[in-house]
Amino acid sequence: MSLLEVRNLTLSFRLWSGIVDVLHGIALSIAKGERVALVGESGSGKSVTARIVLGLLQDLPGAQIGGEVRFNGRDLASLSRHEREALRGRDISMIFQDPTSSLNPVYKIAPQFREVLARRTPRITLAEARERATALLQEVAITEPARVLDSYPFQLSGGMNQRVMIAMALANRPALLLADEPGTALDVTVQAQTLDLMARLVADHGTSVLFISHNLGVVREFADRTYVIYRGRIVEAGPTQAVFEAPGHAYTRALMAAQPRLTGGALPDIVERDPRFFDPVVLHGVPGC
Amino acid sequence: MLSVQGLSKIYVTGRHNVAALTDVTLTVQTGECLAVVGESGSGKSTLANLVLGLTPPTAGTMMLDATPLPARRTIDHRRAIQLVQQNPLSALNPRRSVGASLRLALDVHGIGNPATRPAKVSALLADVGLTPDYAARAPSALSGGQRQRVAIARALACDPRLIVLDEPTSALDVLVQAQVLRLLHDLRLNRGLTYLFISHDLAVVRAIATRVAVFRHGRIVEAGATDALFTSPQDPYTRSLIAAVPVITEQEKAMRDRLGASS
Amino acid sequence: MRRALTILTGNPLTLTGLVLVALVVLAAALADVLAPFPVHRGAVVDFVNFNKPPSSDYWMGTDLVGRDLFSRILYAYRISLILCAVVLAIAVPVGVVLGVMAGYLGGWWEYGLMRVTDVFLSIPPLVLAMSIMGVLSPTLVNGMMAVTAMWWPWYTRLVYNITRGEKAEGYVLAAEVIGATRAHIMFREILPNCVPAIVTKMTLDAGFVILIVSSLSFLGLGVQPPTPDLGSMVAEGAKYLPDSWWLSVFPGLAILIAVFGFNLIGDGLRDILGAHR
Repeated sequence: MSLLEVRNLTLSFRLWSGIVDVLHGIALSIAKGERVALVGESGSGKSVTARIVLGLLQDLPGAQIGGEVRFNGRDLASLSRHEREALRGRDISMIFQDPTSSLNPVYKIAPQFREVLARRTPRITLAEARERATALLQEVAITEPARVLDSYPFQLSGGMNQRVMIAMALANRPALLLADEPGTALDVTVQAQTLDLMARLVADHGTSVLFISHNLGVVREFADRTYVIYRGRIVEAGPTQAVFEAPGHAYTRALMAAQPRLTGGALPDIVERDPRFFDPVVLHGVPGC
Repeated sequence: MLSVQGLSKIYVTGRHNVAALTDVTLTVQTGECLAVVGESGSGKSTLANLVLGLTPPTAGTMMLDATPLPARRTIDHRRAIQLVQQNPLSALNPRRSVGASLRLALDVHGIGNPATRPAKVSALLADVGLTPDYAARAPSALSGGQRQRVAIARALACDPRLIVLDEPTSALDVLVQAQVLRLLHDLRLNRGLTYLFISHDLAVVRAIATRVAVFRHGRIVEAGATDALFTSPQDPYTRSLIAAVPVITEQEKAMRDRLGASS
Repeated sequence: MRRALTILTGNPLTLTGLVLVALVVLAAALADVLAPFPVHRGAVVDFVNFNKPPSSDYWMGTDLVGRDLFSRILYAYRISLILCAVVLAIAVPVGVVLGVMAGYLGGWWEYGLMRVTDVFLSIPPLVLAMSIMGVLSPTLVNGMMAVTAMWWPWYTRLVYNITRGEKAEGYVLAAEVIGATRAHIMFREILPNCVPAIVTKMTLDAGFVILIVSSLSFLGLGVQPPTPDLGSMVAEGAKYLPDSWWLSVFPGLAILIAVFGFNLIGDGLRDILGAHR
């Protein structure tokens, strides 16, 4: 049974000007320990999908959500708000694009860790939290955990903050980690190190990952399976290697062609809107379980 | 056309000094695209600020077409060097129409007479692939790619000698980035423009630059023609940069591994 | 535009504000037509009908010298709105220009202008107004000068803060690179981006100016008799509460309606104009 099963997910927002449909029937699944990527450009709906899985959009007035989102077999829609909140930070956690602004600037790292750890052990003291945080920081290859714990986020580099965020996200040993464009705000060498680190950690702990990105290269290196999303629809899905080596859908092919190559080559002539982008979904192999 | 010699910039902040650029010497030939590549803290943004005359150098000289560029620029100097920024949303005044933003350069430099300027604005929009009716629109009504095209049109408006592009496609989606890069490339070839292209994205640099200068901690570590630099980079830092780029094809992966193994 | 109207009329509170302010403005504009006793705005005495409670002849009663309160309130609205307009018409441009200059030019401009602003802001408004009028004589014009003098610094500070934020935006850099003059950047590029905040503040301020002028009149400064002013009317009538209740209650309600109405509109305007980035 998959850890996360999304079927026919639809999302609409009610605005001044009328109803805006954002997601038109998303289907995806993640098994235990699997690394799955959701690739799309801005406005494709990838970030809102993550927020629905986290249970953040369900309570927004004006948001109408249809379809099924099952986590560990339980439909999120059938849970109360309280129960959804209980999952967040414990069984499902998330890391975000810009690490420095995702951490609270007016608190040092240690109290922020305590807040995170308190989700599992509500009565944890600051001293106990420091001890566990030190061990977690060492896992993410931070050599001076004490100094980091006593620093404010703005005193640390972007790469350091990203690792702190990963440590916090994995602190409560979640079953599922959502990663929204991690490393985008970092230098390319730091990004490479961070992604290696993440890959190692999730393999060690058996955590599943839903990795959201617009960066094809990162997706190729990190994900076992890939879903390509275009304007609220999944257009291609399958094992990463299959999708990248033999993209079947017009949109996926356009994305591949548009990406400049390290090996050089001429600049392609890309059409931004092509009716073929709305072709039906291309599936490689047997998706999910 | 542009040459800088021994350029240095030290920022004095409170307790300590930050050497953003140290002894940088390079030239940009007319009609080429020189890419400046580096990570954060490499000094590439500082170089842009110095070339644009936004901040004076601590040491060194700059020459444009063999005449020196002073620290305080005259209006003719300003006209000669223009800028395309990274963030197209912030780069256009949200309270002015697209046409008004484009007209600014024409009005400031007295290009044409006031009666002909609207026509010139339409011509500029056409150059970047937008229809004349865009002139009346507000920037908030445009997509990121369209805004960046307007920013490019604005940079072209006063016929500059050199255009500095500071990460012009980093904030754009993949498909839009491809279109904008193609537009920039075609404009340069068709009009003999000259670009100083600042980027952290090596794949983009490979696609668009004729020559590349690699910066690290405020110094140039390697410079050369694009193909040569990518096929056989000399400096270990350059190699590590290339090796860290996430790639999508097997050929690129093979190239990276080959370079990474020898660093 | 359509969106603006939808917000303005969609929110019941904002709609109420619009209605109230419309009433006040109409009352002031059409006072000559609406007032049953137009001459009562001046120095008229009618000791036969003085201190009468509300009736069919005198809808809000009469004051101590026999003048119709309703007519006087209508004319008092006119005075208040004119004062409001004059004070803001002077204070806002002065404050805004100084704020943009301090925010953009920096250096000694910033230091000098903001320190002067700080001085004015640190004096309690009513005390400042009273001191100015203590030195000069308590006439209407001096009252207006006093209120204006204490009003401009708030706009300077508001616009200064916005300007400092806008200075970091890309379009300012673009204008500098193009070679635009500093005056152009300050007044044609940055200032339009301050307008939403300025307009919102102006509507909220309208109510406050009325209140301050009324307070000054209450203290015997500001508007002088026989010109009707809401504050003076409340002051005179306060001595005779609760017997001649109409002398204070109606002018007081009139102040309430005007201030409340402007505040409600101000909130609505902030919603329309505020969300621009």
